[in-house]
Amino acid sequence: MSSRRSREAPRITDDQIIQLLSKLQQLLPEIRNRRSNKASASKVLQETCNYVRSLHQEVDDLSDRLSQLLSTVDANSPEASIIQSLIM
Amino acid sequence: MHTSSPLKKEFLKKWMEGLQICCSSKKQMNVLERKKKIKLSADIAMASAKKTPTSWSNALISYARRNEEYMILTDQLLGPESQFNLQKSTDRMIGFHKRVQCKKILKRRNTYSAGKRTKKKTGHPRLISATLIAKRLVKKRTKVLKRLVPGGESMDEFSLIKEALDYILSLKVQVDVMRSVVTATEILSNEKSLKSVE
Repeated sequence: MSSRRSREAPRITDDQIIQLLSKLQQLLPEIRNRRSNKASASKVLQETCNYVRSLHQEVDDLSDRLSQLLSTVDANSPEASIIQSLIM
Repeated sequence: MHTSSPLKKEFLKKWMEGLQICCSSKKQMNVLERKKKIKLSADIAMASAKKTPTSWSNALISYARRNEEYMILTDQLLGPESQFNLQKSTDRMIGFHKRVQCKKILKRRNTYSAGKRTKKKTGHPRLISATLIAKRLVKKRTKVLKRLVPGGESMDEFSLIKEALDYILSLKVQVDVMRSVVTATEILSNEKSLKSVE
């Protein structure tokens, strides 16, 4: 049944895949610095995974910091509302 | 590199609204609990700030809702109108997930029984070509990427790369906005503590 599905789906050309991979490559900070645009597919995928993981980690750290900040401020609620209104 | 500032504004607005909903309760939350809520509201804001919903954004929202602890909170964050659209897409995704899992189980059974029949067909180890190694690497890394991108398990490789592109862009927006908000809050709270000391 899976073979039937792949016959029905439109043929995805290699060019399209190469185009996508090059777009992905431009987003990644590591590879962008090097001038060669001939990074292999596996390298691009590896850098993508590393980058996504590092972004996740950064979101986690930032949430941590914000949570600690808000907890120290929470005791005096007028200041909390001031902070909120200033940020927004 | 173009940073989309309308997306940033939308994310900031939704995240601030979400934070007010999450952290407005008067009872004392411990730091961990608050952090989880901050993260949840940031993720939901990121997923719902998109103008055209993509696969990963729907997956992110449906994962959040499946966690019983946060289902009510998530619905509050999303607002009433989006609930109807989500129900259909979550049902479709759950059905898709099940289909994909059944296929995987069938595949595994077949390859296992086929492997037992054809025992030593791998050939001379020295003759394994570089392309084979490259293919294996690509497969391995695609698997890892599937786990990282929300909803990636049930996608073919082509859509996976497209979704990863979009997901990275949104993650960048999320990190940038969060970083500015956190540094601004830090500066403000430092100023305040300095003033109170005087």
